[in-house]
Amino acid sequence: MASDDSSPSPSHSHHRDSIKSSVGNTAANRRRQQAISIGKERRDALIRAKRLCRDSIFEDDNNEKGLDEGKMVIDEEQSVLNARTAQTVQELKSSLSYQGKDATQKTIEALRALRKLLSKSEVPPIEAAIQGGAVPLLVQCLSFGSADEQLLEAAWCVTNIAAGGPEETKSLLPALPLLIAHLGEKSSVHVAEQCAWALGNVAGEDMELRSILFAQGALLPLTRLMLSNRESTARTAAWALSNLIKGPDPKAANELIRIEAITDTIVKHLKTADEELVTEVAWMVVYLSALSDKAISILVRSDVVPVLVNRLVGSASLQLLIPVLRSLGNLVAADAYITHSVLIVGNDITDQVLYGLIKCLKSEHRVLKKEALWVLSNIAAGTLEHKTLIFSSEAVPLLIDLLSAAPFEIRKEAAYTLGNICVGPTKGSDNKSDIIVTHLVPLVKGGCLPGFVNLVRSADLESARVGLIFLELVMRGYPNGEGPKLVEREDGIDAMERFQFHENQEMRNMANTLVDKYFGADYGV
Amino acid sequence: MDSMDASVASPDLGLGFGFPFWVASRRRFKPDDPFFASGNLERELLAKHVALDLTEDEHFQLQMMEIADANLFCPIAGCGSRLEYLEEFEDHYNTRHMASCSVCSRVYPTSRLLSIHISEVHDSFFQAKVARGFPMYECLVEGCGANLKSYKSRQRHLIDKHRFPSSFEFYKKAHPSKHQRQKLQRKAYKGGDAKDHESFMDLDAKKESKQTHPKHYRPKQELKTGTEMESEMEVETKLHHPQTTETKVETNTEAKNEKAKTETEMEVEERIDDIVSGISKLSTVDSSSPSSVSFGHRHSRGFAFVPRSVRNQNQVSKREPTRKP
Repeated sequence: MASDDSSPSPSHSHHRDSIKSSVGNTAANRRRQQAISIGKERRDALIRAKRLCRDSIFEDDNNEKGLDEGKMVIDEEQSVLNARTAQTVQELKSSLSYQGKDATQKTIEALRALRKLLSKSEVPPIEAAIQGGAVPLLVQCLSFGSADEQLLEAAWCVTNIAAGGPEETKSLLPALPLLIAHLGEKSSVHVAEQCAWALGNVAGEDMELRSILFAQGALLPLTRLMLSNRESTARTAAWALSNLIKGPDPKAANELIRIEAITDTIVKHLKTADEELVTEVAWMVVYLSALSDKAISILVRSDVVPVLVNRLVGSASLQLLIPVLRSLGNLVAADAYITHSVLIVGNDITDQVLYGLIKCLKSEHRVLKKEALWVLSNIAAGTLEHKTLIFSSEAVPLLIDLLSAAPFEIRKEAAYTLGNICVGPTKGSDNKSDIIVTHLVPLVKGGCLPGFVNLVRSADLESARVGLIFLELVMRGYPNGEGPKLVEREDGIDAMERFQFHENQEMRNMANTLVDKYFGADYGV
Repeated sequence: MDSMDASVASPDLGLGFGFPFWVASRRRFKPDDPFFASGNLERELLAKHVALDLTEDEHFQLQMMEIADANLFCPIAGCGSRLEYLEEFEDHYNTRHMASCSVCSRVYPTSRLLSIHISEVHDSFFQAKVARGFPMYECLVEGCGANLKSYKSRQRHLIDKHRFPSSFEFYKKAHPSKHQRQKLQRKAYKGGDAKDHESFMDLDAKKESKQTHPKHYRPKQELKTGTEMESEMEVETKLHHPQTTETKVETNTEAKNEKAKTETEMEVEERIDDIVSGISKLSTVDSSSPSSVSFGHRHSRGFAFVPRSVRNQNQVSKREPTRKP
């Protein structure tokens, strides 16, 4: 604290400090250190972006002993667990109707027991809790003026129920306005954070619930909570917000960008040291940039882009790089402003972006490679200078390599990039895009053809289509009419002829057109 | 195939078929496009949430260590809550001493909800306006701005427009005991600051126990005679469940004949003038809490600690009844 004259003795204050300062970090560390094996249910929950709350958000962790798995309730049979849950719910019910002196305390104890069942079990007995009538009781426990501990435990129970399936989450509808209200600035910050977590889980379920939460006014208080000085609070609020705005309906995203100073807040958080917070906020930018044209327009003109680029270059964390990369990808894809006015060739930031993207190409992570290629392909769709810049960089050998050897979805993106490098932004008199021969020739000589022919053979129609269109480029644009020969050398004719009787009409037409035009009767004559 | 259209155009080759020549253009994906699926999954896999294995015992011990060390208590008279660290004080102060109603001690998580509560439950002026048909009931969702004429219609608005569950109730049934209310009532009429503070503190300290009292209270209006009706109405206007107040107003106008109705209304208005001066002296804790706090259970350890939020408050103004058109 700031102004204390007569502070406690050094050893005491040091002791206290060490406990306090550990709260934020060790919680995060714990998460990083431990991994739980994920069953199918949990995986489904992941796809729906739910997060089970197993540990207290403010629990102190000076006691490292607690890290081993042993204390989890894993050997309890599901039926026993369900029975215990039903019983605990009954206890909660009776404590709520109890009117004696210790009613609040009894209620808190019952809630705590329920909370533990819902957080320490391998498979939380969510269904049993709901069947037992927990939800209306929890709603009662969340009423205004209840003791903080009661609110906290109740919100925690709701959080984990909301981590369940669609029906289970929807059963929490009566609780939603209360959760939103308890985000308020007068609430204990722990209560507010736990409520944010619960709401994040609800929002993660589906668009319908997101709509309801939005209509009930969850956006504004969550945004305010994101401004908190407490990192865990800001992080949780940002995550919940990202779930709230993720669409596909853009209305929440559109509303968020209208909040005053939101861009400044985003920039500020993207610059912090706390990588987890940066990650969650970056996800917010992902959705803003994917759904809201207004947001795109604002973001591309703001400091968000340079900060994202910095992060792209400087970070080693996969968790962080994914949303950072995707935000940039969305922005580049949506608005020409970025390639034309921000990422101008010659500017430092442009070199940095390229560096960052190449770094991702070199990584071993599939997602990073694929999405970096996507961004690169869109930059390559920019000006002639952009194409030349990429062409002259160390990206090319990587691209050719990826085109040949990577999984098909990555090969496809590499193909787009290479193709875009070879095709100009302008069109010739024949109304076809100009072919940049000075790029095309070296790329073919560099060995990209086999990869493209291979793509034509792909089971994925879109990949095959890309392959065919590139082959057309080569055959049309390679100097001295050498194109067809080169294609033939790579078994291109064979690959194209496979489409002769293909069920897809466009593919048939495309392939046949090319074969007829370039390998027709007078070929080789 | 449609996703390809952004990339390739289809001019006619003159062969009846338009070959889609390569066009270098940006490709954009919607957020739920399968393209992003693996990245989305990765996000959640990486955000692992871990089982905590601190037992009850360990947690308790930790707390005890803290408490033994600091021995901090909230200095607000009558509160006495135990605090774990100095930092907790601000949180506690904000929660317990700043968003509670000085009349009935209800605590709200936002200032806005508190002020809505005060208007609707403790402000006769508010009720008078309602009786005259002004839309006084604010929508609870911040930013909406709608005002409704009755508690019920506000409820309906919340359900229809903001998709609140039909079970939602802004007012729970918990009430201070009738004795408490009447005690406050008398104090309000006299308009004494210090006494308000004191009585508030009483309530605050007793808040925990109050919550466990029977939560059901029905107005005894139907049993009262005409003379007592007046004072009963004031009591109820100030402190009752607004729904009850509203129904009461409605049944009043329905059950009585014209003359009695006018009479009652006039009396209410007269009384209101008297009450207003009393009400204006009611305040929330914002004004009655000390602006600086010091604590420490040993004299040698006297911190002068001012919560940030209090320090920021330059002017602490008393609460005025909200005047709405």
